[in-house]
Amino acid sequence: MSWIFSQPNKTGDWGSVIKPLFLKQNLISARFIVLTLLCLSILFIFREHPRVTAVQRGAVDVVAFTSNIVVAPFDAWDRLLESMRSRNALRDEVLRLQQENRVLKGQAQRLASLLSENARYKALLNSARDIEDELIAAQISSVSPDPARHLVMLDKGAADGVEEGQPVLGVEGLIGQIVLVDENNSRALLITDSAHALPVQVNRSGLRAIAEGSGDIDRLVIRHLAATTDIKAGDLLVTSGLGGRFPHGYPVARVTDVEIAAGDAFAVVSAAPASALDRGRHVLVVAQSSQFEGAAAP
Amino acid sequence: MRAHAVWVIYASILAALLFTLLPLPLDWRGFRPDVAALALFYWVLALPHRVGVATAFTVGVTQDLIEGAPLGLSSPGLMLATLLLLYNYQRIRQFDLLQQSLAILVLMLLSAGIEQWLRNGIDVPSAPWAAVAGMICSMLFWVPTRTVLRHFRRYYEVY
Repeated sequence: MSWIFSQPNKTGDWGSVIKPLFLKQNLISARFIVLTLLCLSILFIFREHPRVTAVQRGAVDVVAFTSNIVVAPFDAWDRLLESMRSRNALRDEVLRLQQENRVLKGQAQRLASLLSENARYKALLNSARDIEDELIAAQISSVSPDPARHLVMLDKGAADGVEEGQPVLGVEGLIGQIVLVDENNSRALLITDSAHALPVQVNRSGLRAIAEGSGDIDRLVIRHLAATTDIKAGDLLVTSGLGGRFPHGYPVARVTDVEIAAGDAFAVVSAAPASALDRGRHVLVVAQSSQFEGAAAP
Repeated sequence: MRAHAVWVIYASILAALLFTLLPLPLDWRGFRPDVAALALFYWVLALPHRVGVATAFTVGVTQDLIEGAPLGLSSPGLMLATLLLLYNYQRIRQFDLLQQSLAILVLMLLSAGIEQWLRNGIDVPSAPWAAVAGMICSMLFWVPTRTVLRHFRRYYEVY
């Protein structure tokens, strides 16, 4: 195989000191054909081969490390701006956060009583499952340069307990799932990627559907809903738990638009993700969900 | 024919690949010029006996790893563009800068077209039409890239 990567002059064909006027075209074509076949076979036959995925996983940490170095000056600049914010602006923010904290604490009080109530019911039903999911806090460190995809890099990996297939939560709801894990970093696919779809449920009516990514960062699409279905703008979509990948009950998106063309059997429903996917860097990875304990991994 | 300062070639292509990692807002990613491909094309034109299909293959695989795309997605297009350059480098060297830029645009469209075709074949989302704007950006970057790399090639006497 070494002839593929060796230089033409090493073949002895143009071993002279004078630069060749014409290249050895047969050799070039042969290389092209062999390497193209190699690419095509990796793409179409060996895409899921353990060695191929091992190379992809192994590259995640290297890419994350390099991109952190490239991004470092930008981060330093941001931090400099941050440190120069005025005292007043900081005071306002502290006040706002305190206010928000008070509201959240109030809500958490209710949640605590509900949780204990729920635990009592579960005990009554002889079900020994935990109520709370185990979460890992992570940060989005970079976004894939491929404009067709919504793939992000997270700064937590297998060493922190992240595994492929785990759901990723934003501030206000589900934002994606882990697709590739290395030791210290991982890649997550966002729900708006046009290769992504997830089972959801309308919170108001319990209606089940599949929310597909549209390729736009602020839009999900639901197709194949009968035009007479009870769904309207403003409805909250939550994960339905079907399919066994996303635990039941996380907010996903809010319906923005229901389009029913006259004479069409199906409605086209658009929804905006509950959590702004292009804003904020802090996310949570659901490491272990109480709902799926004992169930086989999807 | 002994090689001299070949590291400049690989260092410049590596630097161009790092350019891909610069953060851009989500919707602006399509406009990023593909500097790595431009650097590759420059070196193929300048030193066709050093840089060829195998280098194109390596650049493509590295791009796939950076993007998190399935392995082998970018390479075939780049390799075909490189092959065409290898067969026509003497002609393209004689072009003026506008003609060269247009030739580069055609090569970019060809290699992107092949990538789209492969993406459809394996059900990976294909690039939005805005990506054509990125190729036009790449075309506009050809003259600066070529000028800078030619300076390096002469300064370090790469051959």
